[in-house]
Amino acid sequence: MGSEGLELKIEFCGLGFNSPLVLLSGCVGFGNEYTRVEGFSHRDVGAVCLKGTTLEPRLGNPPHRIAETEGGMLNAIGLQNPGVDHVVSEILPGLDFSETRFIANVSGSTVEEYQEVTRRFDDSPIDAMELNISCPNVKEGGVAFGNDPEMSARVVEACRGVTRKPLITKLSPNQTDIAENARRCIEAGSDALAVINTLMGMAVDIESRQPVIGNNQGGLSGPAIKPVALLKVHQVYQVAKRHGIPIIGQGGVTSAEDALEFLIAGASAVGLGTGLFYDPLAPARINLGIMEYLQRHQLGTLAELTGSLRLHQ
Amino acid sequence: MSDPATVAPPKIVESVGVVLANDAYAGGQYILRLQAPEIAARAVPGSFVHLRCAPELPLRRPLSIMLRDQTKGWIDILYKVVGRGTAALAERQVGQQLPLLGPIGNGFSPAPRGSRPVLIGGGVGMPPMLLLASELRREPHFRPVLFLGSEVPFPFAPKPSEFMLDGLPPGVLATMPLLDDWGIPARLASGQGFAGCFDGLVTDLARAWLAQLDETARQSVHLYACGPTPMLRAVAELARGFDLPCQVSLEEHMACAIGGCAGCVVQVATPTGPAMKRVCVDGPVFDASTVF
Repeated sequence: MGSEGLELKIEFCGLGFNSPLVLLSGCVGFGNEYTRVEGFSHRDVGAVCLKGTTLEPRLGNPPHRIAETEGGMLNAIGLQNPGVDHVVSEILPGLDFSETRFIANVSGSTVEEYQEVTRRFDDSPIDAMELNISCPNVKEGGVAFGNDPEMSARVVEACRGVTRKPLITKLSPNQTDIAENARRCIEAGSDALAVINTLMGMAVDIESRQPVIGNNQGGLSGPAIKPVALLKVHQVYQVAKRHGIPIIGQGGVTSAEDALEFLIAGASAVGLGTGLFYDPLAPARINLGIMEYLQRHQLGTLAELTGSLRLHQ
Repeated sequence: MSDPATVAPPKIVESVGVVLANDAYAGGQYILRLQAPEIAARAVPGSFVHLRCAPELPLRRPLSIMLRDQTKGWIDILYKVVGRGTAALAERQVGQQLPLLGPIGNGFSPAPRGSRPVLIGGGVGMPPMLLLASELRREPHFRPVLFLGSEVPFPFAPKPSEFMLDGLPPGVLATMPLLDDWGIPARLASGQGFAGCFDGLVTDLARAWLAQLDETARQSVHLYACGPTPMLRAVAELARGFDLPCQVSLEEHMACAIGGCAGCVVQVATPTGPAMKRVCVDGPVFDASTVF
């Protein structure tokens, strides 16, 4: 591979990651789904975020749940999950924690629910927890919390009080001042930030004059949102770097070049979601591309790239 | 109630298929032949592939495997142009390469020895029935029967069948030549007045044949179906009416097709209440009584 001495291992919130790539919540089920694909390995990624989990089981939204759009897709799954107790007792024992880090995605309708789900994951082998205060596809909680810095901080604070495991807060792009929200979440005890969740959107069937998505609206992902995500990462980085808080940059990544853009804009790790639908073997390909870039630019570590953006004066 | 889809699926392969043929038929239908040896080798009846129709459409499209040749390494896919993906697919030329994932999904669970498989396919839902028939013919004791329906001209030239089927209106003789070659009795249905076809719904054609069986013969029937949702609902009713086991293959909008996104769910009844099952990896084959 011509990458002697170079490796993509990083430390993220004290956790050892094989690579800066993180498979995003909602894209890989509860962890083992992609092992159905020949050649796919969890060893190619730093972490896997499990599907959003609530206190009680949820059926999620009615079909259709997805729709293709220009440069991306809409989804409105609606937090379908079997409930935290089932995840902890039935699913986590089946995951191979020697291959990668597994991150739970904590969701809820109330501050108390977020806190209780966090508490139950704290008492499990899970490596870290991501607070999903930005899901656009549920009626209560989710983005309703994530768009209000005060509410965001309350959720983070409540969860911080019941775990010492790393807490990653997933921020919504559907708000006025994401940097202010980031600051409040950091001050409330968040160890890291995931930037961004999906953008709220809609697709219309012109024959039936109905929204294509059963939930009427959904979350937009894919390459179409990458420029938005990059700017949000850049903005959040200005706040996060002062506190030494790392960012998982995410939104429309499909290639090593995309991942490098996020690292340069301020991310320490890079999320892969819809890009995995395009190419389930993308992680190995992206790792290779990042490695080649590091070599070409004679960089010893990925950390040298984070936030290395040279703004026009 | 046990899930009928218990055939352990093989690993999914990410590969590149080469277009060997992409032939147009009436009604916007096409039959695509792809060189894809690993998928041809691993497919089971009910399997589908997730195909990138064009470079500019990175989200793939799920399409059932209709026929495969394990020796020559090709698979055949029947599709109808219904949107951007299939329109782009229709433009693909011989020799072009198409990334595809497959085979995906739980196949039909095998019919028990001594049972009589009755296969009902509608429109672009015919392919899984044909792949299933191609497998069943290897075990002559099954004596399968097929009923195929279409509201556009069939993507083959129908001909009068050499095999008798009782209980059908006079003149309903048309079949798919390949099925005759395989020694499988079959009949066609359409509301479009095609020569030799049953004039009406394919489910009414199937009902007419089932109704003339004596009770013992009928109780050995296992129904298999794939087609538009209203047709599947009618097949499920048929199964309920005659108290017959019935497996249906479903479709839904899909993103990953690997079980990761839960985008393609269908609501099914389970012993503990309703559940959302993924069509891609929990299906696409389900027990009809749990869905309809």
